[in-house]
Amino acid sequence: MAEPSHRFVDHTSEIGLQVQAASFGELLAEAARGLARLMLREAPAAAEGETRDFEVSAHDRESLLVDWLNEILFVAETGLWIPLEIEVLEASDTRIRARARGVTVELSPSMVKAATFHGLEVVETADGLSAEVILDV
Amino acid sequence: MKTVTKYPWERINPWLVEIPASAREDMLVPARIYVDDVLWERAIGDRTLEQLVNVATMPGITGFAYAMPDAHEGYGFPVGGVAAFRAEDGVISPGGVGYDINCGVRLLASDINFGEVRHRLEPLMTDLARAVPSGAGKGGRLRFGGEDMNRVLADGCRYLAEIGMATPEDLERTEAEGSFRRADPGKVSDKARDRGRGQLGTIGSGNHFLEIQRVERVFDPAAAEALGLYKGQIVILIHTGSRGLGHQVCTDYVRAMDEVMARHGIKLPDRELACAPFQSKEGQAYFGAMCAAANFAFANRQAITHATREVFKETFGDEGGLRLVYDVAHNMAKLEDHSDGGTDGGQIVVHRKGATRAFGPTNPETPEAYRDFGQPVLIPGSMGTASYVLVGTDDALQRSFGSTCHGAGRAMSRTAAKKVKHGSEVRKELEKQGIVVRCAGLGELAEEAPHAYKDVDRVVDVVHNAGLARKVARLVPLGVIKG
Repeated sequence: MAEPSHRFVDHTSEIGLQVQAASFGELLAEAARGLARLMLREAPAAAEGETRDFEVSAHDRESLLVDWLNEILFVAETGLWIPLEIEVLEASDTRIRARARGVTVELSPSMVKAATFHGLEVVETADGLSAEVILDV
Repeated sequence: MKTVTKYPWERINPWLVEIPASAREDMLVPARIYVDDVLWERAIGDRTLEQLVNVATMPGITGFAYAMPDAHEGYGFPVGGVAAFRAEDGVISPGGVGYDINCGVRLLASDINFGEVRHRLEPLMTDLARAVPSGAGKGGRLRFGGEDMNRVLADGCRYLAEIGMATPEDLERTEAEGSFRRADPGKVSDKARDRGRGQLGTIGSGNHFLEIQRVERVFDPAAAEALGLYKGQIVILIHTGSRGLGHQVCTDYVRAMDEVMARHGIKLPDRELACAPFQSKEGQAYFGAMCAAANFAFANRQAITHATREVFKETFGDEGGLRLVYDVAHNMAKLEDHSDGGTDGGQIVVHRKGATRAFGPTNPETPEAYRDFGQPVLIPGSMGTASYVLVGTDDALQRSFGSTCHGAGRAMSRTAAKKVKHGSEVRKELEKQGIVVRCAGLGELAEEAPHAYKDVDRVVDVVHNAGLARKVARLVPLGVIKG
């Protein structure tokens, strides 16, 4: 199985986050890592301190992916904390429980406004799953 | 050679192209794009047209789905898009407003000439940057929470007038007097309030800015006089919106509508177009929350105005007064009566996403002071380029539901812009033009560099020639504070 990976895709005004992973749980974790990179504006950072637990539910894969990323945005912006090391404790198509260690930031990283549904589809590939989320920046 | 797109199209006049409703079988109305030949090439370069055609399929859409000359691909709706839905049986869509609810522009006019500022620009910009925080998530000096926050959400600038941060004249010269009466703070989530806490009076990131500018050229002296503008005058342009609070309101309601669309029997080509009937419980809840977020945005620009006035007073004394010329939104959905405007509905919900309301002289919503000329329309250029003041026309009501462009419009992705020029180079070029820049990071400077945008002069010429708004003055920047 391929290692999970992400890359940023060009868009005239926003940023596309393309993610692939072997399972849906890993896809969610990898999407969060991509989002963290953006929020840190690629600055190097190491996880420190205590862990935080996340639990997000939604009605299908796409809405769970969007809700999960928006929950991370919310925590980052209001709690000045960005998750870096993400451990998926439990994941289904409609629910994720995860534990994360991250980094405290001085300024609220609100460069990304939201994860959107635009053209979003979690698709099965030969190696697992892939999705492209357009982030409003 | 005829430009190749996947949709059939026809040029109606040198400023307007139409895609007929027959272009795709799910379209309910034709799509119209205000562009000259050069901007048309830009429009077909990304997913703008496909997104516009998607909008034309939404329930209750009336007239045409419009794109302005600065349009580019967004998510769901194109940025620079205008769509009106019948209030009776049409929809309202959070994605048709965008995450930055009531992102907008306000123009302040001074009585100071360029010569009086030239040698004091550096310290003035430093003081302004200190008084008006910018940058992603940077907190402001104002800490509204609890009941204060409810008042801001319910009353916008009217509340700021009560606490001495706005004058009666400020209210008269703000769209809807800076206070949408339909606001329902109870429909704004705790999460949205948390994101907005401490952000009132701050600019934020992305393409938002505060600029000190000089009136470089006057096209229409009579209108300029009515607006209190003259050549060589120092003015201030503020471009920002509802910050994290608005982002969260949109996030909350895109999700809520995504879940109820099926129940309302709505099926759309893109999930980000999530919408609900305007008259439904969900539609009304979003409308109330969006109006509240819009009030927060008006109050944000007013709080920035208040801080800017204090700095000008400290620097220039009694000469440093700043009059509000106008404040207008470019990310909004509004319930408007267009029964005289040639639409079949009368009451319509006009979504302007990256499009500025541009009402003419006879419209009752145009402030008294501007009734001879039309509502001021403020078009910010990209960083370091010109901005424009225009006035709306009565004709725009039939031609674009009383709407016009909102800026230069991006032409290049952020990654591509950074590849063309590094931030330090962009800063050097701006400084060479005598522009003082206060910006958090070089990456942000490169992403927002002038070459990443379309030519604002060309964009404005199209709306002027198409009769959507008339040019009054051209402004050039002297100092920029960016997020």
